[in-house]
Amino acid sequence: MRYWIFFLASTLLGMYSLSASAQQDTPSLDLNRIQRATVFVIQASDSDLDTRCVGSGTIVRFDGLILTNAHNVVPSEACPGNELIISMSLEANEPPVPKYRASIAQIDLGLDLALLRIDRELDGRIIEPENLPILPFVELGNSNDVILDDTLTLAGYPDLGNSPTLTQRVAVAAFMAEPSGGDKSWFKLTSNSAVSGLMSGGGAYNQQGQLVGVPTSAPITSSTTADNCLRLEDTNGDGFVNSDDACVPISSSVTVIRPVNFARSLIRSASLQLSVEPLTAPPPQVVTSEQPSVDDERLYFATSVNNNLATQVIGSAPAGTTSLYLFFDYFNFTEETVYEVRVSVDSVPSDVFSLPPVRWSGGTNGLWHIGSTGQPWSNGNYEFRILVNGLVVATADITVGGVPSEQASFSNIVFGIKDDDGILQGESYILPTGNIASTRFIYRNLEPGTEALFAWYYNGVLLTAASDIWTSDDGVDGTRDDISIEPEGGLRPGNYRVDLFIGTPPRLSVTGDFVVAGTPEGVLPNVFSNIEFLRAANAFSPPSSVPATSFTDGANTIYAQFDWQQIARGTLWTMQWLVDGEVFYEQTSAWNTDETGQDFQVRLTAPDGLPDGTYTMNLIINGVLLESSQVSVGIGQLGINRLEEVGGLQMGGQIVDADSGEGIDGATFVLITEDFSIADFVWDAEQIYALAIADRNGRFEIDRPLEFDSPYSLYIIAEGYLPITQDGYLISQESLEEAGGSPLDLLIPMTKD
Amino acid sequence: MQVIEIISESEGLTLRQRWATVFVILMSVLFMLLGLNLRNQVLNATTLYESPQAGVTALYPQNWLLDTTGSYVFRVRDMSRSGFKTTFQVSVQAIGADAQERNLADRLSLDRIVTFTDYRVEPLEPYIFADGREAQALNYIYVATDASPFLQPIPTVVRGLDILTISGGQAVVITYRADANNFDAELPRFEQFLRQLQF
Repeated sequence: MRYWIFFLASTLLGMYSLSASAQQDTPSLDLNRIQRATVFVIQASDSDLDTRCVGSGTIVRFDGLILTNAHNVVPSEACPGNELIISMSLEANEPPVPKYRASIAQIDLGLDLALLRIDRELDGRIIEPENLPILPFVELGNSNDVILDDTLTLAGYPDLGNSPTLTQRVAVAAFMAEPSGGDKSWFKLTSNSAVSGLMSGGGAYNQQGQLVGVPTSAPITSSTTADNCLRLEDTNGDGFVNSDDACVPISSSVTVIRPVNFARSLIRSASLQLSVEPLTAPPPQVVTSEQPSVDDERLYFATSVNNNLATQVIGSAPAGTTSLYLFFDYFNFTEETVYEVRVSVDSVPSDVFSLPPVRWSGGTNGLWHIGSTGQPWSNGNYEFRILVNGLVVATADITVGGVPSEQASFSNIVFGIKDDDGILQGESYILPTGNIASTRFIYRNLEPGTEALFAWYYNGVLLTAASDIWTSDDGVDGTRDDISIEPEGGLRPGNYRVDLFIGTPPRLSVTGDFVVAGTPEGVLPNVFSNIEFLRAANAFSPPSSVPATSFTDGANTIYAQFDWQQIARGTLWTMQWLVDGEVFYEQTSAWNTDETGQDFQVRLTAPDGLPDGTYTMNLIINGVLLESSQVSVGIGQLGINRLEEVGGLQMGGQIVDADSGEGIDGATFVLITEDFSIADFVWDAEQIYALAIADRNGRFEIDRPLEFDSPYSLYIIAEGYLPITQDGYLISQESLEEAGGSPLDLLIPMTKD
Repeated sequence: MQVIEIISESEGLTLRQRWATVFVILMSVLFMLLGLNLRNQVLNATTLYESPQAGVTALYPQNWLLDTTGSYVFRVRDMSRSGFKTTFQVSVQAIGADAQERNLADRLSLDRIVTFTDYRVEPLEPYIFADGREAQALNYIYVATDASPFLQPIPTVVRGLDILTISGGQAVVITYRADANNFDAELPRFEQFLRQLQF
């Protein structure tokens, strides 16, 4: 018996040890750091700084870059404020205090994300970048690693700035898929989360304390209304606060989170202050007087997506379905458009599969899908209602349940051009101009005698339609690639679509879109060519005439230019820029210049010149990389800034008079790098790891995290006091835990001289 | 009753005693002078700074914090000071061929008015270096606050003095800033710094 007891005890001890070591290896949720990095964003009028709108934000870099929702900061009819005031809590349990002003550094209205840069004191004075203190910031996590039922911690200010930062644990109930971001375009929260709408723009953190998303409430626009609108100030100065005064809209509660991976390119470009400007044909500003609409005659469902196309149109889904998407064509949408999808199951609203009102992140016209994958869709009749700017514009329903359908079907459509041997080449969704385009698709359960209809469209207009009677030679299941289109005059550049119907009356079974552009050349069309990089002295001077792929002595501005051919106006194309392999710019827009031309010019610049690095320009249509080129600047890679490292120990404390216990105003706390001892220290700033000056209470803060187990030297001086020095000051994880955890709070008594 | 009279011996000091007294006094004075000298040496000890790129050589007070990472050639600060840290700074700016110290002063003021709180400037005054070179002195005053948003410092009134000169086609700005209460007391140290500055 005692052997069993010994065995059990040993096993439990071993498990505990493993658990303890695992906990030590995994960074824990540092709530203090999260709270300090969370800011309260006030959008105020520029004249008298009346509060117009409020929200939360998160500092994501040491130099004061703040990630928040675009709708918190962009002036609009509902939020007519041009000044952005940044408030922060000086203590974790205190409401925020206005500290700085900020400007928009990067913004994507469609994604509803914005990056602010702290650039002014509260009184409007400019802060030189070198004078801005190192601010507490949080590390970005990989939002793709979030899984269903993960517990996230939300941080933000829950009200109009009367409360301290609130941290709230929520669970991920579902993911929503959209073309702009794949299957994890949105994280849905459980319906009982009850997250204040003013926490919109704040942060959602994983268990390691990494920022993985931005809680996002419905944007308040002129066409939507706030749940509440609070009148706080006498904005018209008539001595009364009444309905004539502007109010602060309070949006509905947060039910979705925008994954942080959407913000990475914005953060990269904002931190490096890079700007890309297409000069030959800037992306058109979408100004339309027509109302956004959805083709309510053409809504269909699919259980899987390939290149943003439905692999197969379905009329019903079997029991056990875990993925379902609704597809629809949209027209006249803009970044200002707010859309919403309400899903009900057997007439009961479903929070899990519904998407609350969000900004539109697609283009003006096109094909869209919304749905979710990786979670069970229980049996029932699902009704989807699409709302645009608060109005229902289309509805569709589908039944989930029963056994898998044995209905005849087409699926997995791709396009290509046949070679001389009749083999389909370049299977993709972009084809060159020419004579014939062919499609390949899979068919199942096609009995002989079944009628199939193939309808081809060019830029939305029916081009041709043909029917075919299935024969026994075709077989019941298989693949066909003999369906082609050969329009009169050949394939012109533009957008094409093919619909494949089965039976009588015709039932849509699969549909596919492709783009025709460029000239035939190998597997892919030759659309873009001859990318060249030219250097310029500054953003306003013309480029040199000598192209190069390496500027070893640096570059202030680079002009990239390329030739193009056979691209129809309106064709969606994507220009993507990377630095050292990381995307910092990606813009998909409609082509709006000549079909063919030379030297399409793009300017890449930064206010202080381009940082060293390897820059890559990719030109993409329909997800296919058509042309790419690189240019190296300086040493060809970005410099390493150790201030960007988020890990480590936060340290602060109080320097006091040893006799009276009162704080010593202006005492200086010097932390010398591990490379130097007190004896080596010659008062050179390059020897200093961090430096802090005590405030009127003797309190100080080291603004840079300390590395664990690194032997620093300390030098503390104050006028009229004996200096304190110490070599080999190091802190381990264990000693920090014993001292009460991060931040480490020191009490340093000094003796009078 | 017998009265015993106690009287002191009125004989004077011996010669040896006299010399000992004088010697002690002399030694005391000597050690005091030596101490004062040592103190002055410590207080006025300097450290050499040279920047071949900028063509600047300076002797700055020892144990002041040297910083060359900003938009200046170098800056030294007395970190032992409470409140605002007394600062000497040398910076070099590009300037047009027709520009004079007057234009430079205006440029500095316009830059500072958007970054300094309550910046006030006084009229330019002529200044002559020890080697006879002419310059202009710009006196100003502003309010400085510690930059950390999480602390509660008391703003300090700072007095500043810029010596502006144009040398070798570039503007040289030699700056002295101190807490307004310490400005006059620290000024001799800055003047010594100026006398030893070569550019």
